Amino acid sequence: MAEVDIRKLNVWFKDNHVLKDLTLTIEENAVTAIMGPSGCGKSTLLRAINRMNETIDGCRTTGEIYIDGQNIYNGNTDVYELRRRVGMVFQKPNPLPKSIFENVAFGVKIHKLADGKKLNEIVERSLKEAVLWDEVKDRLHESAFSLSGGQQQRLCIARALAVNPEIILLDEPCSALDPIATQKIETLMRKLAEKYTVIIVTHNVQQAARVSDYVAFLYLGKLIEYGPTKQVFESPKHELTERYITGEFG
Amino acid sequence: MMRSRSWEKVFFTILGAPAAICLTVFFWITSVLLTGIGTIRLNLLTTSALQGGLFEMIVGTAYLLLGAAGVAGPVGVFAAIHLTEYARHGRLIRVIDQAINNLAGMPSILIGLFGYAFFCRQLGLGISLASGWLTLALMMLPIVIRGTEEAIKMVPYNFKEAALALGASKWETVKSVTVPSAAPGIITSILLGMARVAGETAAILFTSCVLVTRGLPKSPFEPVMALAFNLFVKIVALGESPDKVFGIALILFLLVISFASVGIALRIYYRRKQPWLR
Repeated sequence: MAEVDIRKLNVWFKDNHVLKDLTLTIEENAVTAIMGPSGCGKSTLLRAINRMNETIDGCRTTGEIYIDGQNIYNGNTDVYELRRRVGMVFQKPNPLPKSIFENVAFGVKIHKLADGKKLNEIVERSLKEAVLWDEVKDRLHESAFSLSGGQQQRLCIARALAVNPEIILLDEPCSALDPIATQKIETLMRKLAEKYTVIIVTHNVQQAARVSDYVAFLYLGKLIEYGPTKQVFESPKHELTERYITGEFG
Repeated sequence: MMRSRSWEKVFFTILGAPAAICLTVFFWITSVLLTGIGTIRLNLLTTSALQGGLFEMIVGTAYLLLGAAGVAGPVGVFAAIHLTEYARHGRLIRVIDQAINNLAGMPSILIGLFGYAFFCRQLGLGISLASGWLTLALMMLPIVIRGTEEAIKMVPYNFKEAALALGASKWETVKSVTVPSAAPGIITSILLGMARVAGETAAILFTSCVLVTRGLPKSPFEPVMALAFNLFVKIVALGESPDKVFGIALILFLLVISFASVGIALRIYYRRKQPWLR
């Protein structure tokens, strides 16, 4: 659990100014949805929180992001440790070309958190937490690609949970999934919020309404509105938000 | 419409001709060589050259190949990893790229000459197995580097992203995700490199081979016998009639074909096993 305090965040990709002066505080122990039309910078905002933007050439970031009071953009941040604390789940399920077990164990081994019996326990706990254990417990050593799309996505969640994160970022985690798999992930997100800070990017307004406690609406790289989900959906302060929620554009 | 369709057919037929020619030539060579089967008896393979057998040539060729792969494999793979994953793209990389292309197209006699001048004379390795390894490795390198680069580029970016997002460093990602995923392609490129130099004559002509040795080389610093070299010398220098050397030619042919086939078979096998490559 950790609070994420974003101060005057700007991100450029080469000459493209993607995020403009974003300031918001993301609450711990809750699901925060970042919504907005395609290209508004939602994913960039998410990827600023675990500094994944900088794996792309030509990215430049200014401003600060404080996690538990520590600015992750100051010079002495250990970016690998940061990414352990801030887990990420991608739009398209991306299991590694390894067994189900090895996928979950991967991060644990990288960070040398455990081995042997303790590692087995962590894998089991993480898969249970991601509500996948019962479906895979008899086939842990089969390829992760033998799972269905929805199962793969829950495997990716389990993989992120295995390294003891405090924050879970989900980048449109359901956009490649069918409605039943989507529902399972949404239920899971609600459960995860009891223990973690959950931040989800979605372009699906209904999904934001269903799963989130807080919602941020981004448009053309600017934060238009941010507040408790109920309040934003029932009485949006900004006209753009209202038009987006009612499906006038998107 | 009809007209352009029929033209299309004509052009495709013309384009198919080179493929047909390749096939014809290949089967012709095969059939000619297979007529040589009669001249070899199985015990030739295990009989010493001193008694007119091929034993030292076959083992010598294997020594040369394995040693060259032992040098070019690691060097080529690390070079390719550096070029694809670490190097910043700029003028230097373009120059290196072009140098690799030039090395691939370099006539093997020139590589052999360089090997003689540098490895044999300058480094003082003399006419030896070691000089042969290094010279052949020079010829294999462009194939291994290019093949490995291709294999690494085929690894989907989202594998690397997954590892990075879990807090893996770049090297950990390369070591535990990128290279294992590219391994089949890397192994294939090493095998194809070996196939390329298996029949190589010019490069070993004056760097590592002699016509007859007393038994197998006892150290990497002794000269060695090889199939291709013997074939060449027997025909050109000793003027033996071609039917006398059919056996050597056939074994050499089978050796090259089998390296290439194993390489291709592995590639097909792993394509099936690795769904993301499809």
